[in-house]
Amino acid sequence: MNLIKRYWLTALASIVALVVFVTPFIFIILMAVKDRQQAALRDMSWPINFQLVENFLAVVQARDYMLITAYINSTILTVGSVTILVIVASMVGFVLQRHPTKWTPVVEFFVMAGLMIPPAVVPTIWLLQGIGLFKTLHGMILIEVAYNMSFAVILYRQFVATIPREMDEAAIIDGAKPLDVFFRVVFPMMWPVTVTNIVVQSVGIFNDFVNPLYYLPGRGNETVQLTLYSFQSQFNTQYNLLFMDILLVTIPPLLVFLFFNRQIVAGLSAGAIKG
Amino acid sequence: MTTVALDTPKATSTPKALRKDLRYPSWFYLPAGTIYFILFLVPTVASLYFSLTRWTLFNSTFIGLENFQQFFREPFLFQSLINTVIFAVITSGAKVVLGLLLAVLLTSNIALRGFLRSVVFFPVLVSVIGVGITFTVLMHPTQGLINTSLEAIGIDGPGWLTDPRLALFSVALVDIWRGVGLATVIYMAGIVSIPQDYYEASRIDGARPIQQFFLITVPLVRPAMVTVIILSFIGGLRLFDLVWAMTRGGPGFASDVMASVIYKQYQAGFYGLSTAGNVVLFMLIACLAVPLAIFLNRREVNQ
Amino acid sequence: MAGLNLKNLYKSFGAVEVIKGVDLDIDHGEFVVFVGPSGCGKSTLLRMIAGLENITEGELFIGETLCNNVEPRDRGIAMVFQSYALYPHMTVYDNIGFGLKLARAPKEERDRKVREAARMLQLEPLLDRKPGQLSGGQRQRVAIGRAIVRQPEVFLFDEPLSNLDAALRVSMRQELTKLHHDLDATMIYVTHDQVEAMTMADKIVVLNGGVVQQVGAPIDLYQDPANLFVAGFIGSPKMNFIEVTAKTVGKGEVLVQSDVIGEISVPLNSDRVKTGDKLTLGIRPHALSRSDDGPFSGQVELVERLGNETVVNFTLSNGSAWMAVLDGDEPLKLGSEVRFSADVGAICLFDAAERRIR
Ligand SMILES: Nc1ncnc2c1ncn2[C@@H]1O[C@H](COP(=O)(O)OP(=O)(O)O)[C@@H](O)[C@H]1O
Ligand SMILES: [Mg+2]
Repeated sequence: MNLIKRYWLTALASIVALVVFVTPFIFIILMAVKDRQQAALRDMSWPINFQLVENFLAVVQARDYMLITAYINSTILTVGSVTILVIVASMVGFVLQRHPTKWTPVVEFFVMAGLMIPPAVVPTIWLLQGIGLFKTLHGMILIEVAYNMSFAVILYRQFVATIPREMDEAAIIDGAKPLDVFFRVVFPMMWPVTVTNIVVQSVGIFNDFVNPLYYLPGRGNETVQLTLYSFQSQFNTQYNLLFMDILLVTIPPLLVFLFFNRQIVAGLSAGAIKG
Repeated sequence: MTTVALDTPKATSTPKALRKDLRYPSWFYLPAGTIYFILFLVPTVASLYFSLTRWTLFNSTFIGLENFQQFFREPFLFQSLINTVIFAVITSGAKVVLGLLLAVLLTSNIALRGFLRSVVFFPVLVSVIGVGITFTVLMHPTQGLINTSLEAIGIDGPGWLTDPRLALFSVALVDIWRGVGLATVIYMAGIVSIPQDYYEASRIDGARPIQQFFLITVPLVRPAMVTVIILSFIGGLRLFDLVWAMTRGGPGFASDVMASVIYKQYQAGFYGLSTAGNVVLFMLIACLAVPLAIFLNRREVNQ
Repeated sequence: MAGLNLKNLYKSFGAVEVIKGVDLDIDHGEFVVFVGPSGCGKSTLLRMIAGLENITEGELFIGETLCNNVEPRDRGIAMVFQSYALYPHMTVYDNIGFGLKLARAPKEERDRKVREAARMLQLEPLLDRKPGQLSGGQRQRVAIGRAIVRQPEVFLFDEPLSNLDAALRVSMRQELTKLHHDLDATMIYVTHDQVEAMTMADKIVVLNGGVVQQVGAPIDLYQDPANLFVAGFIGSPKMNFIEVTAKTVGKGEVLVQSDVIGEISVPLNSDRVKTGDKLTLGIRPHALSRSDDGPFSGQVELVERLGNETVVNFTLSNGSAWMAVLDGDEPLKLGSEVRFSADVGAICLFDAAERRIR
C-alpha cells in the first residue's frame, strides 16, 4: 500500500516536473516554425505551414543582418574575455593557494566583494569614457573579466589545493623558474578546472544582457542578447520571428550543455560540499 | 652592539632564490589585480562620492544626501526597495525548498532520471531575456497559453503581468522556474556525498523515508543549503534582466526593483540618483546578505 | 667530485625549531641514510640540502661551494620524492627530459641522455606512456630516471620506497644499491625504516628531535650505540630495557640491582658511576638464552616458532614487555614461566642522561 502510494507520488512529481520544464521549450520550437498568422494565436497547435527555413532567413536578414553582427560580437566577447580570465585567474588562484601571507585575507576579501557587490554602473561608464573604452568590444571584454574574476579565482584556488606541492618542487629541482613552474607544470595539471571555467564562464558571458546594455550601446555593437531585446519591440506582431530568434540564441548553450554537462554541473556546484 | 653585529649576517643570509615569495611571485596578482582594481574597485569607490552629487558625467555638483533622501521619500523609488527584498526572499525561499525536493527526487531511483535532471537544469543556461520573452507571451492575460489552458478547465486566469498586485510575483515565479535547476544541482552534489551507510543503518533502525529525509538528508546537506540560500538571495537582490524583459518594472512601478530603477534613472539622465541607487543596493546586500552569510557559516562551524 | 659539509645547521618554522644544530661530513660516493622516527626532521634536513627550504642558521657546503644561497638547480643535486611527483601531462620521455629541456640542452644530447637513462632502468618500452598508465614500481623508476639524466653530484631520496608493496620494496632496494655502485655518486636517502637503513647504507645518520644522535656504519651503530635512543632504534627486534640502580661500585665492575632481575655484576670502568645512580640496562633479544638460573624471568605471552629460530614475547614481573630470539625450535607454552640468562659482555648500561656507559 505504502509502496504503491510512494510510487504514484514520485511518478506524479516526475510528470509535473517534465510538463513544467519542457512545455516552454516545446512552445518556443513550435512558435519558431509557424507562419505569421498561426503564431499570432500563441497556442500549442501543430504548425500548419512549416516555415523553418523562411523564418530563419527572415530573422538573419532582419535589420541589415544584425544577428550576424551580433553573433560575431558575442563570439569575440566570449572568447576574448574567457581567454584572459583563464590566464589571469589561474595565476591568482595558484599564488593565493600556494603562498599565504598576511595579505591573503585582503585578497580573499576582494574576491568575496567581487562576488557580492553590484557593479557601480554609471561611474564605470564615466571611467570607460575617460580611458576611451566605452562602447568598444575591448572595454566590454575587460569588464567581463573584472566582473567574473572572483568566481574563476575561487574555482582555480580550490583546484590548486589538490595538486601536491611536491610537483612544484620537482620542477624547481629540475631547474624550472617560477614562470616555468606555473605554465609548464601546474597550469597543464589544472586542465579539468580550466575546462570547467571555460564552459561556465562562456555560457555566463554569452548570456549576459545587463552589461552590454550599459557598456556596449550603439549600432553595430549589439550582442546576441541585445538582438532579442530589440526584436522584442520590432517583431511585436511577428511572434514566429521573435521565437526563431529565441531559438537561435538558445542553441549555443544547448550545444555546450550537451557536450559539457558534467563540467558545468561540477563548476556550479563547486563548494557546495565545503560550503 | 656585539649581538647586533653577530645577528646581521644571519639576517642577510636568507637565500634570495629560496624565498617563497620569489618561488610564488606576487606579481602573478598583477594582471588580474589591475583589471579588477581599475574596472571594479575604482568605480565602486567613486560611486560613494558621485551618489552625493547631481551629475552629468561632465561635471558634478555636491548635494549631500539629497539623492538618498529622494530615494526614501519618493513612493515609487521606495517601493522598488521593498519589492527587491520581497523578490529576493520569495525566490530564494522557493529555490531552497523546491530545489531540495527536486534534488531528492532526482537522486532517487526513478524512470527517466538522467533526462529529468537535464530538463530541470537546462533553463539555467538559457538566455534570461529569451526566457522572459517566452513567459511574457505565455502569461498574456487573454491570449497566453497559461490562461487559455486554465479557461479550458473552467478557471478564470488572472492578469499575471498586468495586475499590479500580481506582476512582481509572476516575475518571481519565472525566476524560480529558471533558477531552481542551479539550486537542485548544488543540492544533488551535497546529497550524493552523504554516505549510503547512514540510510542503510537508519533503515535497519526502522526509519521511514520521511524520517530519513528530515533526520539524515536535511542536516547533512546543510552546507549545500547554505550555498543555495546565499547564492539565490544575492542573485535575487541584484536581479535585473528578467524584470526588464517581462514588465520593464510595470505596470506603473508595481514590479520595479532596485536594479531596474538604477537603469531607468540612468536612461533618464539622473546619473547621481542612479548611482545613489547603486549604493543603496550595495548597502542592502551588505546589511542583509553579508550578516546572513556570516550567521549561516558560523552555525556551521559550531556544529 | 662532491662530498657535503653541514656545519651547525639550524632550521625554524616560525618559532618552532625543527633542526637543532646538525654537523655532518659526507664523503664523495657515500650512500648515507638519514633515519629516525616520523617527525624528527629528516625530510626537513634533506630539503635544506636540496634548497627547497632555506637554512635558518649554519653553513652548507656541497663540494667546496657554500650553498646556502644557491638555487636548487645550481647545486648539482637531484631529488626523488616520496610521491614521485611525475608530471602527469607529460610522457615518460618528457618527464625524464624535462630538466634538460629547461636547461636548453641540444635536442640530440637530450635524446641520448634520456634513452641512456631509460635503458639503465629498463624503461625503454614505456617512453611514450603517461605516468597514469604505469605501475608503482615503474613510476618509481621514472622518478629515478629523471634524477639520473641531470647527472648530479648528489642524489637525494625522500622515503622513495614507502609507497611500494613489500616485495617490490626489497627488489628496488637492491636496484638502488646497484645504481649507487654504477653511478659512483653521493646519495642521501631518508627513511624511517631501520631495515632499509641497515641494508643500504655506507653510513647511517640517526636523527631524533632535530638532533643527530649518532653517525656511523650500520654494524657500528648496532654493536656500539651511543645512547639509549640509538640502541632502541637500531636493531630488530628492539633492544630490551629495564631500570636498575647501581648498588655497589667496585673496581672494574659495578653491581646493579632491581626488584625484577635481582642483582647482576657488570664489568665497568667505575669512575663514571656512583653508588645509588639510576641506570638503564639493555640487552638485545638475540643475546638472551634459556637458562634455569638466569636473572631475567617472565611469563610467556607469545611464541613464534619459525623453525630456525623462536621469537618469544614475555612480560617481566614489573609489566615490561621483553623479547627473546632463541636459536632452533623451542616449544614454549603460553603462560608458563621462563628464565633467560645473557653473556655479561652483551649487556649495555645507560646513565640517567641516556648516554651509554658500556
Ligand atoms: N613547512 C612547515 N611548517 C611548519 N612546520 C613544519 C613544516 N615542515 C615540517 N614541519 C615540522 O617539522 C617537523 C619535522 O618534519 P619532517 O622533516 O617532515 O619530519 P620527518 O622526519 O618525518 O620527515 C615536524 O614536526 C613537522 O611538523
Ligand atoms: Mg618525511
